[in-house]
Amino acid sequence: MIRNILTLTLNDLAIAFKNKTLQLVLIIPMFVFFALEMVDQGDSGLQKVNIGLLQNTSYPPVLIDGVESADHVFDVTWLGDAEAAHASLKSKRIDGFLASSATDPGSVELIVLTQASLKTLTIVEGVSAIQDAIQGKRKSWIAGIRPLHDSDLQKQTLPTWILMLVLLVGFVVIPVQVAEEKEKHLLLGLLQTPIREIEWLLAKLLLGIILTLLAAGLLQLLGGFKFGGGIAASYVAILIAAGFCFSASGIFLGFLCRSQASARTLGMLVYLPNLLPAALSEFSQKLSSVAPLLPSFHFYMPTQSILLEGGSIAAYPVQLIYLLSVGLVTLCLSWSLMKKRWLM
Amino acid sequence: MVNRTGRHAKPVIVPAPAPPPDLPRTGGGPNTSALAPSDGKPDRFASAPVHIEVRNLSKVYKGKKGLQTTSLQIHRGESVAIIGHNGAGKSTLLKILAGWIVPDSGSATVEGIDLKHRAALARKLGFVPEKTNLFDFFSVEYNLKLFARLFHIPNARVEETLVRFELLAFRRNRIDQLSKGLRQRVSIGRALLADPPTLLLDEPTSGLDFEMTRHIYRMLGEIHSCGKTIVFTSHRPEEIRTLATRIIVLHQGGLVFDGTPVEYFESSIHLKLYA
Repeated sequence: MIRNILTLTLNDLAIAFKNKTLQLVLIIPMFVFFALEMVDQGDSGLQKVNIGLLQNTSYPPVLIDGVESADHVFDVTWLGDAEAAHASLKSKRIDGFLASSATDPGSVELIVLTQASLKTLTIVEGVSAIQDAIQGKRKSWIAGIRPLHDSDLQKQTLPTWILMLVLLVGFVVIPVQVAEEKEKHLLLGLLQTPIREIEWLLAKLLLGIILTLLAAGLLQLLGGFKFGGGIAASYVAILIAAGFCFSASGIFLGFLCRSQASARTLGMLVYLPNLLPAALSEFSQKLSSVAPLLPSFHFYMPTQSILLEGGSIAAYPVQLIYLLSVGLVTLCLSWSLMKKRWLM
Repeated sequence: MVNRTGRHAKPVIVPAPAPPPDLPRTGGGPNTSALAPSDGKPDRFASAPVHIEVRNLSKVYKGKKGLQTTSLQIHRGESVAIIGHNGAGKSTLLKILAGWIVPDSGSATVEGIDLKHRAALARKLGFVPEKTNLFDFFSVEYNLKLFARLFHIPNARVEETLVRFELLAFRRNRIDQLSKGLRQRVSIGRALLADPPTLLLDEPTSGLDFEMTRHIYRMLGEIHSCGKTIVFTSHRPEEIRTLATRIIVLHQGGLVFDGTPVEYFESSIHLKLYA
């Protein structure tokens, strides 16, 4: 049995190499890494923002002095009028500008591209700090900020990229490969040999887990992220559990489709609703209430804890059981469809 | 039960489908005894054991009959041509035997092994589909070695197959670089890799040129002369004449004729089928 599974898995890997799936799975982590490298370089002065002031607006002199003197926080750009400021803001030459308030003549309004952004927060914090200093207010109650996830941007976003890769393998790569084998009658050809259906299914699962580990491993290698032995073991365990769950789901999706094209479409239809709510659950109350319904969230949460907080897989038994159960159920469904030669 | 020809009477058509109005039922069915004896070929299968037994097989595709309730026996060493119009159920019957399609009802055995025991049956049956299902982007050798590994047979058998089917010169060629005839040879070679006693072929020479068709005939003739049971579907009269020792005609999913090639070509069914 093991020999058959290994033979089939090696054949699957060879197919993945020939149809460039393997390259895709390896190129995406490289692309992610280099994109993040560029983001880091571009944002080396993350705290410093470019603020625009309008020449045709009369600001309180203390405000102009304060902003211009805080050159460690602000780069000041003088612009002719509001129209020019809008153009500069849209082309991202400035991060925001101060205009006279339409409702309160004594105050100014901050015009930014997006309200909930890091740049906006920095401008508000910076201007408020200058105002507090000028007005002689006491020190803020919060003396400093100490993040739980104490790491750079690359590592902060690592769980999201890992989630993206794992789901890509499970919901796009595997269904397409299964559908291809069905469409070209390769699977029926293999079933002319004494292999059992379960061996073929296990080989496909192994392929999914290997591709998941390869992609995650490459991203790890490129990023140079180092973890202790316990964290690494937890990380590998959760990756294997996710590889099992999503590859089994992907095999099932492949069995629901007659052709590669329909498998790709169905895969994307499942991929995005799994990726976005889980990855964005931190940013939205509504998403965070929906996300726990998805298996992707039960992978994302422990992964985030393991990678960013040094957590252990042992702290997430429910998530682990959930992932394994989803994998097992979809595997049984696939086996049943395979026995019926469904859409073959 | 033995009929006038000394051949085991073939218990066909159970329950008997109504013969289509334009095709009278003849051959090995209930009125077989009225037909002429064999075609002069030695009736060496008369005492041969039953090799394939089909009992009340049927398959419906979305409300449309693929195969009506059909029963038949095929003896060891026979070369059986299954013929009929498109949609008659020929390929369905072969695909059910090969395990590609699960029948709605009925059962079948090959050398006493039920179709449900697919893994055990894999060594008893080789199937060559109409459209070759080889791994296109890999070489001839890779395709054969993959199947040899799954059959747990030594690589020497792959070498033998390459020699036997004149594929040595193409062993490193990718399947998608081969002509249709060569692909068909690889497909037949792969089906016979584990030396099964039965070979099923779905329209083996469909789309092949004259020369390659003759080559396949010669190859199948050799395979048959080695004692293997061959069951193939065909639309070509010359193929049936060359290869078959027995002909089964299916029409609208039902079996309407079962007899020798001479019986078939002398019967009105032949004219009505291909007139």
